[in-house]
Amino acid sequence: MLGIGTLTARLVAAAVVWIGAALVAGGFLLAALFEAHVERSFDRRLETLLEALVAVTDADSGAKGGIRVVGPQGDPLFNQPYSGLYWQINQGRKIRLASRSLWDKTLALEDIPAAGTARGIAVRRYLAAGPRGQRLRVIERDITLVEAGPVLRYAVAGDLAQVDAEFRPFMVTLIWSLSVLGIGLIAAVLIQVYIGLRPLDRLREALGRVRTGRAERLEGDFPSEVRPLVDEANQLLAQLGEVVARARTHVGNLAHALKTPLSVLANEADRTEGPLAEAVSRETAAMQERIDRHLTRARTAATAGVLGQRAELAPVVEGLARALRKMYQDKGLAIEINCNGDGARAAPAFRGDGHDLEEMLGNLMDNACKWATARVRITAASCPGGRLAITVEDDGPGLKPEQRKVVLARGKRLDETVPGSGLGLAICSEIAGLYGGGLSLDAAALGGLEATLELPRAEG
Amino acid sequence: MRILVVEDDPGIAGQLVRALEDASYAVDQANDGEEGHFLGDTEPYDAVVLDLGLPVIDGITVLERWRSDGRTMPVLILTARDRWREKVAGFDAGADDYVAKPFQMEELLARLRALIRRAAGHASAVIECGPLAIDTRSARVSLNGEVVKLTGHEYKLIVYLAHEKGRVVSRTELTEHIYDQDFDRDSNTIEVFVGRLRRKLGNDVIVTERGLGYRLADAENQPDDSA
Repeated sequence: MLGIGTLTARLVAAAVVWIGAALVAGGFLLAALFEAHVERSFDRRLETLLEALVAVTDADSGAKGGIRVVGPQGDPLFNQPYSGLYWQINQGRKIRLASRSLWDKTLALEDIPAAGTARGIAVRRYLAAGPRGQRLRVIERDITLVEAGPVLRYAVAGDLAQVDAEFRPFMVTLIWSLSVLGIGLIAAVLIQVYIGLRPLDRLREALGRVRTGRAERLEGDFPSEVRPLVDEANQLLAQLGEVVARARTHVGNLAHALKTPLSVLANEADRTEGPLAEAVSRETAAMQERIDRHLTRARTAATAGVLGQRAELAPVVEGLARALRKMYQDKGLAIEINCNGDGARAAPAFRGDGHDLEEMLGNLMDNACKWATARVRITAASCPGGRLAITVEDDGPGLKPEQRKVVLARGKRLDETVPGSGLGLAICSEIAGLYGGGLSLDAAALGGLEATLELPRAEG
Repeated sequence: MRILVVEDDPGIAGQLVRALEDASYAVDQANDGEEGHFLGDTEPYDAVVLDLGLPVIDGITVLERWRSDGRTMPVLILTARDRWREKVAGFDAGADDYVAKPFQMEELLARLRALIRRAAGHASAVIECGPLAIDTRSARVSLNGEVVKLTGHEYKLIVYLAHEKGRVVSRTELTEHIYDQDFDRDSNTIEVFVGRLRRKLGNDVIVTERGLGYRLADAENQPDDSA
């Protein structure tokens, strides 16, 4: 996922933020709920102890404080000094009786306003300071032991440290499990992002195939979110091809429109004598040459940069050979073709426009046939660096090294007796140059000229 | 020799017809593909000059139809479409030669002569038949090395017989190949031309096969005939 790193980072960062926020919020909520639950059950326990205390106390004027404990107090902690569980019975502000656990201390019960006190059933809950700095939860209730007797305040108090002791391990477990959950979720997000962005990766690969000429359009199944993008890109590619085709047609039409009147002019001039006729002949020939050169360049410039082009070599060479055998029928040339690749290697293909390949090879092969005495040989081979070398040899007279330079440099006609020779090589060299390739000339093994065309190769 | 020119541009067509007639061919001209196809399909031409960008039916289709109907006359494509793909398509459709515009009339005539000669199975531009030699390049006929002056129709007749060397050619066939379609044909004039040719070239040159037609005397058979 090299090309989409920032997109991945964005998605993962956003996921980490929301997962973190959700887990922290959830943790706080869970902790608060659990704390409330623990406190409620602590309160209920204290209330139960209060009920039990009420049940085991009785009024006894002989006993200390006028109250006697007649049975077990519900929890042995009431008898352990400073155990954290206490009870105390007041009458107003005066202490009537207290649990042994209070020892020499007393519970500082909250003052209650004299008015508005609901008798008998009202339960008051509050926090109070206890012995040894304990934070106590106090549950208090008004009780009347005997008919028309004094209103007694029964209070049971418990140390909140017990609540904390229950709550702390829960918090540890909570934090631990939420952390594991968070890590798991982030891992899941990473996987999800990877799977979710895979189509983009495949899109990049498909685009690569188009660029290197292995495909004409983006191919493959894409999810419906990416599909419109792929369709748009394909339409763009098709439109590009259409524009090129249209430009080519217009250029061709222009060529045809110019060439027919040029023919008429040239032929009329040939029929007459004189300086005017000569000038017309000369200039129409020059015009034809210029039209050929510039139209070739314009056609090629329009296509050389277009993506997704591929032209198979073998059919082009074979088609040209068929035509050339007919054109040079009288010479009875043997045209030998070696461009089907050797053995397991696939036949090479040109990364570019088929028309341009035909123009280059047509000119080279035509030139070879023109000069050959009996044999012409075409050999194609793949070269390192994604290139393709096509060699056209003949057994004709060949060219001297200094002539070769002239031919390539200016497209000059070396021999006026064979029309068009030389110009074809220059056009060929020019088209190859537009594709980032080139044409080189050498002496052929067959004895004549060897022209080697180097071009970009289509992969796959 | 009778030639069909299928060309829609009046300028080029006019020049072609004039040049071909000057070179002693009988010439018919069609302005569109439909007319061209019809003429090529019904008249016996010795060669066709065919443009590709034609109205109604394009040249390639015309050519393909002729070939699929078994018409084998040599066809030279003359067109402004000079890309190699078009050339290959033209040859694949059955063309025998391809000349791109603008063209040199001389070159076109030379290629046309070569096509006709090749179709008749002659290797050389000069057809020899006993003492008779016909140079198709210059349209000159010589007897025992001496040039004989012939009129246009006389030349057309002798050159057709020479291409069909040894084969008996009927009067109707001769009429079809010597005159263009607009000519008021009368097969009796063929006899007149044969008579004139015999006066100029000698009686033995053209042999009359009674009820069948004429043939050029075969050089190799002549000693047997005289014997």
